[in-house]
Amino acid sequence: MTTITVDNINSRAELKRKTAKPLLWIGIMSIVMFFGGWTSAVIVSKGSISDWLSIHLPNAFYVSSVIIVLSSIFFHLGYLAIKKDQKKTLFIFVLLTLLSGFGFVISQYLGWKTLYENGIVATGSSSTNASSYLYLITFFHVLHLLAGLISLIVVSVKSKKERYSSSNFLGVELSLIYWHFLGALWIYLFIFLKYIA
Amino acid sequence: MSTHHHHHEDFLFKYIFSTDHKMISKQFLITGFLMGFIGMVMSTLFRLQLGWPGESFWLVDALMGSWAEDGVMAPDKYLSLVTMHGTIMVFFLLTAGLSGTFSNLLIPLQIGARDMASGFLNMLSYWFFFVSSVIMLISLGVEGGAASAGWTIYPPLSALPQAIPGSGLGMTLWLVSMAIFIVSSLLGSLNYIVTILNLRTKGMSMTRLPLTIWAFLLTAIIGVLSFPVLLSAALLLVFDRSFGTSFFLSDIYIGGQVLEHSGGSPILFEHLFWFLGHPEVYIVLLPALGITSEIISTMSRKPIFGYRAMIGSMLAIAFLSFIVWGHHMFVTGMNPFLGAVFTFTTLLIAIPSAVKVFNYLTTLWKGNIVYSPAALFSIGLVSTFISGGVTGLVLGDSALDINVHDTYFVVGHFHIVMGLSAIFGMFAGVYHWFPKLFGRMMNNKLGNVHFWITIVSAYGVFFPMHFLGLAGVPRRYYTNSNFPLFDNMVDINELVSTFAIIAAVGQLLFMFNFIYSALRGPKAPMNPWRANSLEWTAPVEHIHGNWYGDIPEVHRWAYDYSKVDESGEYIGGEDFIPQTVPLAENEHDGGGH
Ligand code: HEM
Ligand SMILES: [Cu+2]
Repeated sequence: MTTITVDNINSRAELKRKTAKPLLWIGIMSIVMFFGGWTSAVIVSKGSISDWLSIHLPNAFYVSSVIIVLSSIFFHLGYLAIKKDQKKTLFIFVLLTLLSGFGFVISQYLGWKTLYENGIVATGSSSTNASSYLYLITFFHVLHLLAGLISLIVVSVKSKKERYSSSNFLGVELSLIYWHFLGALWIYLFIFLKYIA
Repeated sequence: MSTHHHHHEDFLFKYIFSTDHKMISKQFLITGFLMGFIGMVMSTLFRLQLGWPGESFWLVDALMGSWAEDGVMAPDKYLSLVTMHGTIMVFFLLTAGLSGTFSNLLIPLQIGARDMASGFLNMLSYWFFFVSSVIMLISLGVEGGAASAGWTIYPPLSALPQAIPGSGLGMTLWLVSMAIFIVSSLLGSLNYIVTILNLRTKGMSMTRLPLTIWAFLLTAIIGVLSFPVLLSAALLLVFDRSFGTSFFLSDIYIGGQVLEHSGGSPILFEHLFWFLGHPEVYIVLLPALGITSEIISTMSRKPIFGYRAMIGSMLAIAFLSFIVWGHHMFVTGMNPFLGAVFTFTTLLIAIPSAVKVFNYLTTLWKGNIVYSPAALFSIGLVSTFISGGVTGLVLGDSALDINVHDTYFVVGHFHIVMGLSAIFGMFAGVYHWFPKLFGRMMNNKLGNVHFWITIVSAYGVFFPMHFLGLAGVPRRYYTNSNFPLFDNMVDINELVSTFAIIAAVGQLLFMFNFIYSALRGPKAPMNPWRANSLEWTAPVEHIHGNWYGDIPEVHRWAYDYSKVDESGEYIGGEDFIPQTVPLAENEHDGGGH
């Protein structure tokens, strides 16, 4: 077997440095199109139904919005910290982010519970298109958020073990980009569901 | 013992779970062709029924068994076959098979990269495709038969499991298979885009890229933006089918019973579907256009005419493809003003398409053409792109489309412009890059015969369909002989079916050539077509990392064919100058540097 020098791509790390972020960004673009498909569907459905029922969003969803903004701030502070090599601070902020992430999921659950108790259901004969969309869109946002939570768990374990430093924080950055995106997506969906749907 | 174990692993990771783009390319090619073969056999079966309705055929009996009592296929199985044929041809052969093969093979080799951005995601992309293919085929054997709502799976047929036999488990498996397919396609596209943007070798600027790469890039971008929308539509459909929502359903009576569904709209599904569906035809077409641009320039021994105009027109087509979907929906009661808008945007696509055709013809004009099978199929694509494009103008115009919507006119149109163009591009690509794929040459004589049989019989199948359509023959009908109105269409239908059989038999020639050459063909030289692009500087044998030693550097665009100096002599003494040759002093780079 002939050996080949893998010169232009010096190592896996180098390859990852060059491509991981663009891969994530393009993945995010397709998630945007996915939710874009559904929110456009809401507009089309609303336009074709004369008795479209608008639904008051439960208070818990307002709490969700506050939590997710806070969590993004925490994570960003952690990111700024690791850039200055403050490894312990990173860990604390990632942990806070993770906790608020769980808080977000709980608040979503409470929101669905309120809806359900008020007779607003996702499926079946007493559901309406508006209620089905509401559950579906928020539920799939949470599904995407679970992926974010998993990445946060990985990042928090690694930062506990002090694997990141001011010269090596790509993992933090990737997780951060995705988390910010999830926050922005939620804010968009929240505004959309409140004012348009 | 440990060596044995090691060997075993080697095999597994070299041929099965390979992360090498060249192996993955072959996996896509072979899986895609197998699916395409099945799709073609299906079309032969239902063409037998359409040409000679109600007659008994040994072939139909042998292949369809109890679905074709006495060799005559059952009406609902006809619908299953048409649906599966369309699905397989569009998605499995011409999306995954075409892009998967050539994006994988050519992106790293033509831009000068060791491999894809992520070999792992690339491998996953293939295996998701494989699993979705298997599920789609399994759905042929389930109770009630495969999905039967057409490849466009409009509700309510697709949304109500009790609607027709194929709406049951077959439809469910269709949705499962396509969801997995979409994941595969997204993973592939992600990789293609990032690799092209980030891993080009030194000197390979965007305006020095071969047009193949531009085409694959835009195809992948379209895929990443449109497939997620199909996924979102498919999920809504799943919820309507199984969880009691009513996104696409309203006021339905079935067998005298009122269903609970209310408030939904099947038209919504059409919007979501065609938001993917139209870009999808360019996902199928653009790679073929890229492949033939490359081949036509190489085989005419001339630089591609209007390199930048080619890129510009592909960009324009990619952009426009997202704002024309309504032309599939002119008959849905669409507001005529909106119809006019979609007519306008649709007709706009004629402009970049005409630019491309013009550039192809100008490149060929006075070229020193080498009539290899690849060149012939490329020229065949130019032909089908024109003749299918012209009927596109008719269908794009709402006032005209309404008259021929859902007739054989449409079937003729899209087969020529999308089916034939893309499959010709794919054949051209296989003949041209076979030496890169398998290190051996295909037989040119057989290839030429294959081309002539294919183009004559393909036009023989699809051209007369326009007349059937103009006479009002609807598509997706099991038989035309039950309507006295169409009695004088019998001869045309027989003619079409006869050509379909010839076309199918002609493909056996290709299969033989392909398999025989892969095993026994003459060994390929490094640069058999005397071409400029980087893949021909890589060794014939497949090595991990593509080049021994350093990755070559690029100094010029890929189209310096028959370039002469002031005295009229070929620069470098040959009629081609590989991209790795530095520019001479005062020499101008065609890419615009
Ligand atoms: C072997 C050559 C082929 C023949 C003889 C053939 C024949 C046909 C016929 C007669 C129909 C219409 C049946 C009906 O409406 O009742 C049909 C449908 C279709 N074909 Fe082909 N076809 C061939 C190859 C292809 C290729 C290469 C493509 C790729 C684009 C393709 C894509 C489709 C699609 C999308 C439909 C529509 C299916 C539907 O109505 O849902 N076909 N084919
Ligand atoms: Cu279209």
